[in-house]
Amino acid sequence: MIRFDKVLKAYGALEVLKDLDFSVEKGEVVSIIGPSGSGKTTVLRVLMTLEDIQGGTIYVDGEPLNRMDVNGQLVEASKAHVRRIRAKLGMVFQSFNLFPHMTALQNCIESPIYTQGLSKAEAVEEATRLLDMVGLADKAGHYPSQLSGGQQQRVAIARTLAMHPEVLLFDEPTSALDPEMVGEVLSVIRDLAKSGRYTILLVTHQMGFAREVSDRVCFFDAGKMVEEGVPGDLFGNPRNERLRQFLSKVLEAS
Amino acid sequence: MNRIGIVVALIAFLVGLSVATFAELRVFLPAILRGAVVTVHVATLSIALFLLLSVVAGIGRAYGAAPVRWLSVLYIEVFRGTSLLVILFWMFFVMPEFGLFLSPVAAGVLGIGLNFGAYGAEVVRGALAAVPRGQTEATIALNMSAFRRMTRIVLPQAVAIMIPGLVNLTIELVKATALVSAVTLSDITYAAVQQNQLHFRTVEIFSITLMLYYCLAQFVRFGGAALEDRFSRHRARRA
Ligand SMILES: Nc1ncnc2c1ncn2[C@@H]1O[C@H](COP(=O)(O)OP(=O)(O)O)[C@@H](O)[C@H]1O
Ligand SMILES: [Mg+2]
Repeated sequence: MIRFDKVLKAYGALEVLKDLDFSVEKGEVVSIIGPSGSGKTTVLRVLMTLEDIQGGTIYVDGEPLNRMDVNGQLVEASKAHVRRIRAKLGMVFQSFNLFPHMTALQNCIESPIYTQGLSKAEAVEEATRLLDMVGLADKAGHYPSQLSGGQQQRVAIARTLAMHPEVLLFDEPTSALDPEMVGEVLSVIRDLAKSGRYTILLVTHQMGFAREVSDRVCFFDAGKMVEEGVPGDLFGNPRNERLRQFLSKVLEAS
Repeated sequence: MNRIGIVVALIAFLVGLSVATFAELRVFLPAILRGAVVTVHVATLSIALFLLLSVVAGIGRAYGAAPVRWLSVLYIEVFRGTSLLVILFWMFFVMPEFGLFLSPVAAGVLGIGLNFGAYGAEVVRGALAAVPRGQTEATIALNMSAFRRMTRIVLPQAVAIMIPGLVNLTIELVKATALVSAVTLSDITYAAVQQNQLHFRTVEIFSITLMLYYCLAQFVRFGGAALEDRFSRHRARRA
């Protein structure tokens, strides 16, 4: 479903992703762990086209994201091509990024109406269903400033789902939350992971949660994927020295 | 805050009126009120031009392609760096030398609009920059078009941020219209100077003048406050 082929991402001289090869199968739930600054967020951001890449190719569903095939030649992708591929992806941000001037419901219907051409009634029906699913049916008319962090993140998840993506990208979805709100958000993500309807890429520091929901866990260090495996192996029997150090630090902290 | 403004305006009005009554306001008030009509006329047109230029040059500088951006920067820097009075002289006295004859109202409106638009553009640009980057990223992740992003997400939030700055400039603008008397327009200030020369009622005439400008400024301020309320409702309504 997703394939990074020798992807290079650099900010000036700083290479953040170094010839990264990495792939995710359709329907797979993959967690990315690793120390701060190792490039985890960048993996999601280049995939979501929030950043361009300096080398290599990213494939989504077999099609290159940043370039397109014209008569057998790969050329710079057109806007239409990027938008068509991007429609398969949805991203949930660490800091929610809800639209503050819109209610929870308006946040969830804005793009479906204008991007997918839904009628307002259809969009409202779908958004209402999704807000209900994340346990916020009664908050539809609230502005983000009237909601707790956990509630805001659940609205953000509903907003993403309203676009019917096939792939969900979560960038530390609970890192900005007070501890008592982490559970409510994880429980929504757990349901999504268990539903089997989505390919999920989750960047997280919640090792217990990663172990519980993931089919596979990838450890990133300094812009490379250093180790990957099923959660039991990776956490139970880490081979890489850096991973061992990382895990012992994380366990110490919690 | 608003109540204090109303009370002050009322007191100023009553003081002005009693002073003027005492001085047989019939003698000079009609001329000054005719001046007020000219001031309001010039101010209204200038405000329209000022707001238009602020938004166009502000967005141009923030988001325009290279040529648009450079044009915006050039416009902003030229008109911020020059005196309004001198620009008005240029519009009215110098342009005819190049074959461009402007009516006094056109010269006044153009000069004021161009000058204040340069300041307004910076307010608009600052407001656009103050909308968090995460908002744009969310619109990309939701696959919204650049046009929708601007009109539905970025601009509405930027407007709420730019209103106080633009209201300030609008008040400044209303008061700066006093300079159009220099290009032969009979506005409030011109009428006051003229009536004073005729009747020597200095205190009364300039009390009325002061009061009129104050009332116009209050009018703008209340309008701005209402707009600000309207655009930041989502922040005010905390449950
Ligand atoms: N806009 C940027 N400009 C320069 N360097 C950046 C930028 N964004 C991220 N980086 C750098 O890229 C590296 C990887 O960042 P990131 O992917 O956010 O790491 P992680 O999410 O694993 O903590 C870090 O060293 C960070 O400082
Ligand atoms: Mg990160």
